[in-house]
Amino acid sequence: MPEPRHRSGGNRAARETQILGWLFVIPSLLLVALLILVPMGHGFLQSVRSGGFLFGEKPGYVGMRNYKDVIHDPVSREAMVHTVWYVVLAVSLELVLGILVAITLHRVFRGRGFVLAVLILPWALPSVVSGVLWQRVFDPDNGLLNFVLLKLHVIGEPHVWLASGRGAIFYITIVHVWGVLPLVSLIFLAGLQSIPDEVYSASSVDGAGPVRQFTHITLPLLKPSVAIALTVGTLLAISIFDEIYVLNGTALNTRSILMQVYNTTFVQADFAHGTALAFLLAAATAIFGVLYALALRRTTV
Amino acid sequence: MTETSGTISLEHVSKRFPGGVMAVNDLSLEVEPGEFLVLVGPSGCGKTTALRMVAGLEPVTSGEIRINDRVVTRLPPRSRDIAMVFQNYALYAHMTVRNNMAFGLKMARLPRAEIRSRVDEAAAMLGLTDMLDRKPRQLSGGQRQRVAMGRAIVREPAAFLMDEPLSNLDAKLRVEMRGEIIRVQRRIAAPTLYVTHDQTEAMTMGDRVAILRDGVLQQLGTPDEIYDRPVNVFVAGFIGSPSMNLITARLAGTVASFGNSSLDVGERPGLSAYDGREVVLGLRPEDIGVDGAGSLELAVNRVESLGSELMVYLDSGVPGLELTARLERRADAAAGKTVKLPVDLERLYFFDTESGAAIW
Amino acid sequence: MTPIGWRILRVIAILAIVVWSLGPILIGISTSLSTQREVNAVPSHWLPAHPGFQAYHDLLGGTSGHAGGTVTEKGTFTRSVYNSAFLAAVSTFFILIFSTMAAYAVGRLRFKFGGAVLALLVGTMIVPIFVIVISLFKVLAEPPIGPSLIDTRLGLVLVFTATLTPLATWLLYTQVREMPPEPEEAALIDGCSRLKAFVRIVVPQMSSGIAAVAAITMLSVWGEFLIPLLLTQTMNAKPVTVQITEYVGKYSTNYPILAAAGVLALIPPALLALALNKRITGMLAGSS
Repeated sequence: MPEPRHRSGGNRAARETQILGWLFVIPSLLLVALLILVPMGHGFLQSVRSGGFLFGEKPGYVGMRNYKDVIHDPVSREAMVHTVWYVVLAVSLELVLGILVAITLHRVFRGRGFVLAVLILPWALPSVVSGVLWQRVFDPDNGLLNFVLLKLHVIGEPHVWLASGRGAIFYITIVHVWGVLPLVSLIFLAGLQSIPDEVYSASSVDGAGPVRQFTHITLPLLKPSVAIALTVGTLLAISIFDEIYVLNGTALNTRSILMQVYNTTFVQADFAHGTALAFLLAAATAIFGVLYALALRRTTV
Repeated sequence: MTETSGTISLEHVSKRFPGGVMAVNDLSLEVEPGEFLVLVGPSGCGKTTALRMVAGLEPVTSGEIRINDRVVTRLPPRSRDIAMVFQNYALYAHMTVRNNMAFGLKMARLPRAEIRSRVDEAAAMLGLTDMLDRKPRQLSGGQRQRVAMGRAIVREPAAFLMDEPLSNLDAKLRVEMRGEIIRVQRRIAAPTLYVTHDQTEAMTMGDRVAILRDGVLQQLGTPDEIYDRPVNVFVAGFIGSPSMNLITARLAGTVASFGNSSLDVGERPGLSAYDGREVVLGLRPEDIGVDGAGSLELAVNRVESLGSELMVYLDSGVPGLELTARLERRADAAAGKTVKLPVDLERLYFFDTESGAAIW
Repeated sequence: MTPIGWRILRVIAILAIVVWSLGPILIGISTSLSTQREVNAVPSHWLPAHPGFQAYHDLLGGTSGHAGGTVTEKGTFTRSVYNSAFLAAVSTFFILIFSTMAAYAVGRLRFKFGGAVLALLVGTMIVPIFVIVISLFKVLAEPPIGPSLIDTRLGLVLVFTATLTPLATWLLYTQVREMPPEPEEAALIDGCSRLKAFVRIVVPQMSSGIAAVAAITMLSVWGEFLIPLLLTQTMNAKPVTVQITEYVGKYSTNYPILAAAGVLALIPPALLALALNKRITGMLAGSS
């Protein structure tokens, strides 16, 4: 029989729990603090200082000047417009296709396991590799797209996909969506599976056909999933970078905000403006994140 | 197995949850050496919270808990020398049955030979010897419950705690395991605190029964005491299946009347204060239709034949109140008929309409 | 539409999904087995006439300039694959340790500041990595103790661990919340301290969640591009994602070699995804 230990005032078990709690949380907090929060603070400081002698300026605090510069800079604005396009296109495609995929794979069928395994592959690959794989589709001389479209006589001569204005953005979006769609499909699949079958049976008895069931039952009940998919899709699209880098480099016509940040910071070595733009992006991302979190809370009753 | 002769005592134990809910309110009771004490009550009455405080899984707001006269109130569970059987078995899914049972002993650093012999002995007692090398997911519910018990037994603890161990089993298995638990407990002879919401388990298994409601102890006594002398209307209604008929009746002199019926209950000293007022009249279904000085004439709403007996549901004459009578199987009662049933006046109970306290 | 009509539609949809998912991969494989002349021909040849592993030889063994547009050196690609694997494995190891502990503290111990900790961690997930990269560069270049961590595997491991632990913690937290607490309580009664109960009982209980999170983190680290792009220079730590972009030529690209690199780069994550498919989909779907 264990010997009774010295009894201290206050509940020992509760204190033991608190101490363990701190011990368990500190490593993560420390790491995040040192490698994320501190650099973030540092970065913000950098964004409110001038670029220094390299740019022919006096080093020192300049307040919001860098931010204003960036907002008024036409190239950065162009990048912002592009990013909006990326987000709108990507999220729209992801939502529509995601629901369709989820509906298709919702009911069990022979080989479903195989299809699910295959479905996840595009997400599992590094987006850089996706860019590489899709290269051959968009190559102007002998890419697959041109090949197919020429064969089908849709176009008369090979198109240079990635150079034309809006088209390039669309095609990069396709590559991006290719990688994100599995995730969104899974989100919707989970949402579908949380709708009990009886709801559909009851509506059948009431005379609803498949289309009606979709619009009146499925869609409304999928609202939480839509909110999640919207959030995830937006966050991923707003920071799109890898695909652009591989397919089109720093070309002006497809620059996203992040690509612009990269260019400013590492190609032009303008750390001050680069960080300012990055923080603008971070702010936008945070705003979206919060908006969606609020929307989500409202939909989950 | 060595015999332990300890006690479990709760002294004015209370538990307040953040938010102000008083889950357990000034509970005091003592489990005698070797006693099987059942803590029973409806969901939310605080019985599980009380048990968890004894186990050390829930901090105590005020009061003291002793095990074997040793104050354990603020000790962690591992220092209390207790063993517990959970409602959903709580087995270690990644270990074999043998290792599940041996785990506590390994933690206590007992020599290997000792561990082996204790596990083998407990397994034999519970019929688990063939399953020692299986994993929990390969066992049925009843077998898992036995492993949970085995894990508790091998520790040879100073006190046993059981939290509704039979609730997850089907009815037939439950009856079988009831006997099993009692048999094992008698052999181990450690004081046991057993929690359940099922009053049948309480009545058939407990040496004594403690009834809890909203955190407050209603009555503590042997099953007979609780059945025969319920101390308030809640206990009276809770114990006994089917439950006691409780009727609001008006007392005039020695006559209690309700609906279209009246009973002359005779001189009762406790009732004199209630002359001209309302009281709650209690009458158990099994006490209707047996020889007695009183009688009731009531219309039958419906009859359920259970084969061995007849459940007769009668119209009390009070709107919304149906009386239940348990009659022998060949009794003459049919829906729509009116029956005249004798009532044993000795078996009438009276309760105050406001406080619910019994009037003797 | 008739029931048969719907059925046909579904079959078409399923086929479309498979073709869409596998298509680019198959094209990549086919390209990697072709010769450069076949690929560059107009119109292109989509299936190699005589599939061969020339591109792979060039990639792994070095081309010494004879492959148009792309120069490879022996062992460089291999080294980058090794780097990726090292980074994925070691980062995942630390991420699992930190996130399991944190998820347990917040989800089970009901740690007093749990809500704040969780909010903080989740908050950092929203922050795009770019706002910290430059300062991260400085922090890693001049750490409080020790030598510069730029272009080192250790440096990258630290960064990946910091950036992925929040997500891992969140995923495991949702798991811990759903787990029954009784086995842990039984262990406490059986004589374990909280710590012992955690190690011996709770962690095994979490094992399926841990496996799924491990898979997800390994895939994430393997796919990291931006951070290593900025924080590595030599083959010391350069992962395959960065290495592969060096095969995209400025003017012309040796597609077979590029495709071969792509194929080799996708095999490990593809295998991992296929092997742990059920776990991963379960976790991703379950936490939403």
